[in-house]
Amino acid sequence: MGFFAPWFLAGLAGLALPLYLHLLKKQTTVPKPVSSLMFFEARTQSSTRHRRLRYLLLLALRLLVLLLLIFAFANPFINRNAAALASNRLVLLVIDNSFSMRAGTGLSDTRLAEAKTEALKVLSGKGAARGQVAAFGSQLRLMTQPIEDESALRAAAQAIPPGDAHGNFAELARAVRAMAESVHTPIEVHLFSDMQRGQLSATFSDMALPANVTLVTHPVVSKAQPNWTVESVDAPGQVWGKDLKPVHIQAVIAGYGTPAAQRTVSLVVNGKTTATKPVTVPANGRATVDFPALEVPYGFSKCEVKIDSADVFPADDLHRFAVERSDPQKVLLIHNYGDTRSPFYVGAALSAAAQSAFMLESINVNEAADRKPSNYAFIVLSDVNSVPSLLENSLTQYVKAGGSLLIAAGTAAGARSQIPIFGAHIVETRDYNRVPDRYMAVGSSDSSYPAVAKAEGWLGVKFFYALNVDPGTGADAARVIVRLGDQTPLLMEKRLGEGRVVLLASGLDNLTNDFPLHPAFVPFIEQTARYLAGSQLEGGARPVDAYLDLRTAKTQAQDQSVEVTDPDGKRPLTLKEAASAQSFQLTEAGYYQLRLADGHQNEVAVNPDPRESNLDVIPDDVLALWQGKGASQQAAAGPNGLPVPAAAQKIPQTFWWYVMLLVLACALAESVLASRYLGTQREES
Amino acid sequence: MLQRFLDPSVLAGISSLELVARTVVDGFVSGLHRSPDFGFSQEFAEYRAYNPGDDLRHIDWNVYARTERMYLKRFRGETNSLLTVLLDASNSMLFGSHGVNKMDYARYLAASLFYLAIHGQRDAAGLITFDDEIRDFIRPSTRQGQLHRLLAGLEHAEARARTDFSKPMRYFQELLKRRGMVLIVSDFWESPESIIRSIEPLRFHGNEVVLFHVLDPEDVRPKLNGPSILVDLETNQQLKVTQDYAKKEYPEKIAAHLADLRDRTQAAGMGYYLLMTDRPLDSALREYLTLRGARK
Repeated sequence: MGFFAPWFLAGLAGLALPLYLHLLKKQTTVPKPVSSLMFFEARTQSSTRHRRLRYLLLLALRLLVLLLLIFAFANPFINRNAAALASNRLVLLVIDNSFSMRAGTGLSDTRLAEAKTEALKVLSGKGAARGQVAAFGSQLRLMTQPIEDESALRAAAQAIPPGDAHGNFAELARAVRAMAESVHTPIEVHLFSDMQRGQLSATFSDMALPANVTLVTHPVVSKAQPNWTVESVDAPGQVWGKDLKPVHIQAVIAGYGTPAAQRTVSLVVNGKTTATKPVTVPANGRATVDFPALEVPYGFSKCEVKIDSADVFPADDLHRFAVERSDPQKVLLIHNYGDTRSPFYVGAALSAAAQSAFMLESINVNEAADRKPSNYAFIVLSDVNSVPSLLENSLTQYVKAGGSLLIAAGTAAGARSQIPIFGAHIVETRDYNRVPDRYMAVGSSDSSYPAVAKAEGWLGVKFFYALNVDPGTGADAARVIVRLGDQTPLLMEKRLGEGRVVLLASGLDNLTNDFPLHPAFVPFIEQTARYLAGSQLEGGARPVDAYLDLRTAKTQAQDQSVEVTDPDGKRPLTLKEAASAQSFQLTEAGYYQLRLADGHQNEVAVNPDPRESNLDVIPDDVLALWQGKGASQQAAAGPNGLPVPAAAQKIPQTFWWYVMLLVLACALAESVLASRYLGTQREES
Repeated sequence: MLQRFLDPSVLAGISSLELVARTVVDGFVSGLHRSPDFGFSQEFAEYRAYNPGDDLRHIDWNVYARTERMYLKRFRGETNSLLTVLLDASNSMLFGSHGVNKMDYARYLAASLFYLAIHGQRDAAGLITFDDEIRDFIRPSTRQGQLHRLLAGLEHAEARARTDFSKPMRYFQELLKRRGMVLIVSDFWESPESIIRSIEPLRFHGNEVVLFHVLDPEDVRPKLNGPSILVDLETNQQLKVTQDYAKKEYPEKIAAHLADLRDRTQAAGMGYYLLMTDRPLDSALREYLTLRGARK
C-alpha cells in the first residue's frame, strides 16, 4: 500500500483539535448558585480524574472522520496483481477498416485481413477479461457488447467488412473517452491499423486518452509503401443538349513515396475505354492528364479515370465521376419594349458560363401575358416600368407555387412606388452620378450566398443608379445579401409561398452600372440561375462520408419520399427515412442512384478520400507518445507489442473513493450522536 | 381534587397572596372539621391559685367575692393572641431548584398564617421583614384592613443582602413590647449557637417563639454534574466543589446542622419546624398546627 499524495498526511496534526475540545475545553463550567457555602468545602479532583475524556464515542467518531479525510486526500493505493484485476478490465479490440486497409497483394492478403489475424491472437490471450470488438473507419462502430464469449468476439472480428472511409485517430480517441465515462473499469484498447500518418489529428491533445484507458497499438505495416493514385478529376457534372463545344476532362495522377515512372491513364465511360494516354509521374510528385473530348450519351453516364495497377493498393487506381447529358432548361426574360441590352448581357452570361444549361428566351412585357410561366426554370423581370395586372397575378401565382423570379429594378422601375410581386416599397432613387466619385461600390455582402461568393463579392463593380428599397421588418422581411457603400440594399431575396424572388435594385444593362461588363457578372448570372432553377445540388463526384441533401427548401414541405440506391444495388433508407430524411451520408465508394423528392433523377459518383492513398506510416516515437509510455514500458511489452502476462504486473489501485464513503458514514453517525448530546445538555440546562 | 392546587408550584401561579392564603387555609380547615386543640383562640382553660408576683389583672374577682380566695383565670392561647411573623428576606431565600423558591414559599406560609389568625381567630397579627437590618415593620393589630396591609407587606418584601440575626434582634425587642407568638421564617444559614443566642431574648420576654426552617430540597441534597464552581447567593463567594463531596460529606454535615439546630431550639423552649419547599403547604401547616395543639 502507498499514497499518491503523502504530503497530505501532515494533516494528522489536525487530530489534536478534537482531543483539545474534548479534554480541555470541557473544564470551563458555568458557576452554579447555592443558598450558602456554609457547609461546602473546596475540593479539586486529581488531574487524571478531573481531565477525564468525555463523550468517548463522539470523540472517537470525530477522530475517525478527520483521519479518514486525511487518508482520502493522501490518495491511498494498493498494488494488486493484474491477474486479479483481469476480470475487471475491458479489452476493446479496434480494427481499422478505413480505405487504406484494402491495400495488399491479393484479396486474402490485405492489411485488413492481417489486422483481423492479429486481433484473433490478442483475443486468444485475453484471459477472463471481457472483450468488445469495434470497427473504425471515420467513426467507431461497436460490433459487440462487452462479453466474455471468445467465439462471439472472434466471429465479430471476422465479420468486419472493408470500408471506404477516411480514418481519424482524434475521432477514435473521442469515442473512447465517451466510452470511458460510462465504463468505470480499466479499458485496454488494442488498435489494429496500418497507422497511416494521415490519420493523425492536427493537434495531439485531441487524441488524449483518459487515465483508465491503456492503448496498445498493433501496426500491420512497419514502413511506408509506394503508391500511385488518381488524385482528382475535373469534369462537369452535367452537359446540355448537343453541345458543340468539347467537354474537357483533366485528371491529376499522384505518387506517394514513388520513383519517377510512366503510367498509363485511361478514360472509361460506361465500362468502355474511350481514351488512353501515357503520363510520366515524377518521383513522389503529381502529373496532369488532359482528355480533350468527353462523349457521353443522353442521361447519366458512369465515368472513370484509371491508371494501370503497379502497386500494393490497386483499389485507389481509379477515380469515378458521373456525367448527365440533358436538354437545356428554358429561361424567360421579360423586358421593356426597346430594351435590348439586358437580354443580350444575360443571354451571353448564361451561354458562357453554364455550358448551355439554360436557354434564354426574351420577350417584351406586352407579349408576356400569353406565356405559361411554369414552362420555364425561372423568369427574369428586367427593369419593367409597368407590369399588366394579368401578368402580375400570373407571376405571383407561379412564385407561390414554387417558381423563381429574378427582378432587376433599374431606372424604369424607379418611377413606381413599389416593386411588383416582390412587394417592397421604394423609398427613393439613388443617382450616384451626383456624388463626387460618380459611382457607388459594394459595401458589404453575404459571402455564404453562392451568387456573391463565386463572383468574388462583386469587387470593383460600379453602380451609377440604384433604388433604395425598404426590405421590411418581421417575418416578411427580405434577406439583404449585398449592400452598397451607403448601406443601400442592392441584392435581396424574399420567400413568397413555396417560391422565392431575388431582387437586384439596379439594372441588368450597362446603363445603371458596369456590372454586365465586369467578369463577376458571369458567375453571378450562372449561380443565380442554378440557384433559382434548383439545380445547384446536382454534381458529378463526392468524397466518401459526404452528406447529400435529399430535399431542397422547395420540397421540404412536400411529403414525398426519396429513393437511394447504393453501389451494391441495395436501398439503405427505410421507408420512414425515405419519407422524412433531409440528407444521406455516402458511406461507400461507387455510384449512388438517387430519385429526389422533386422527382429529379440523379447519379452521384463517390470516391474515397485521397488522403487514404498516402501510405506513409506514423513514426514509432509518435506512437509511443500517444500510448503515453516511455522507453522502459516499451521494453516491458512482449513480442509483437503484446503486453507481458498480466500475472507478472503490479497495478496500483486507488481506493480513495471507498475512504470517502466511510468519511460520509462516520460524519452522519457523528451528527446523530452530537445532536443527541446537545439535546441532553439543553435539558440539563 | 383541591390538593392538586396546593402544590407549591401551583400556588406560585396565583398572583394574589390572599387567594393563596385562602386556598391553603380553607383547604385544610375543611379537611380538619373542628378541633378543640386548634388555633390561637382565647378559650377558658383553668383556674390557678394566686402566687405572689402574679399579675393582679388576671385575678378572677368574682371567685374571690364568693370564696375569698384569689384565683387566676387562665385562657388557652392567652399569650398567643398576638402573632408576629419575622420574615427573613435575605438573598439566600431566593434559591429554588424547582418552581418555587424559598422566599415565595415563606410568603405563602406567612400569608396563610395571617389569614388563619385574622380571619379565623380575630387575633392581632404583625410582620417584620429583615435581613441584616429591619426592612419593614407592620405593627400587630386587629384593625380593619390589617390582613391586606400584611399581605401587601409580604408582596413588597424583596430579598437582598444577607442574614444576620444578631443585628436586628435588639430592635425586635423594642418593637415587640407585648408578649405573643413570634414565628421566625428563615433558612437559618448561621450556626445554631448564634441563632439561639440571638433569638433567646424573645423567649425570655415571654413570647412563644417558633422557628420555621424553610429549605429547598437541593439545600439538603445538592445535585452536581461533576466538578462544579458554586456561588454563594449572599456573599458571591465562589468555591470549587467536587461531586463526591456533594454526594457524601455534605449531606452528613447539613443533617448534623439541622439536628443541632432542632435540639438547641427545643432546649431553649422554642418551637422548631422544618419545611421543605417541595412539600404541599397545607399538609405542612396542618401537621404543624396538629403537633402544636398536642403539645399544649
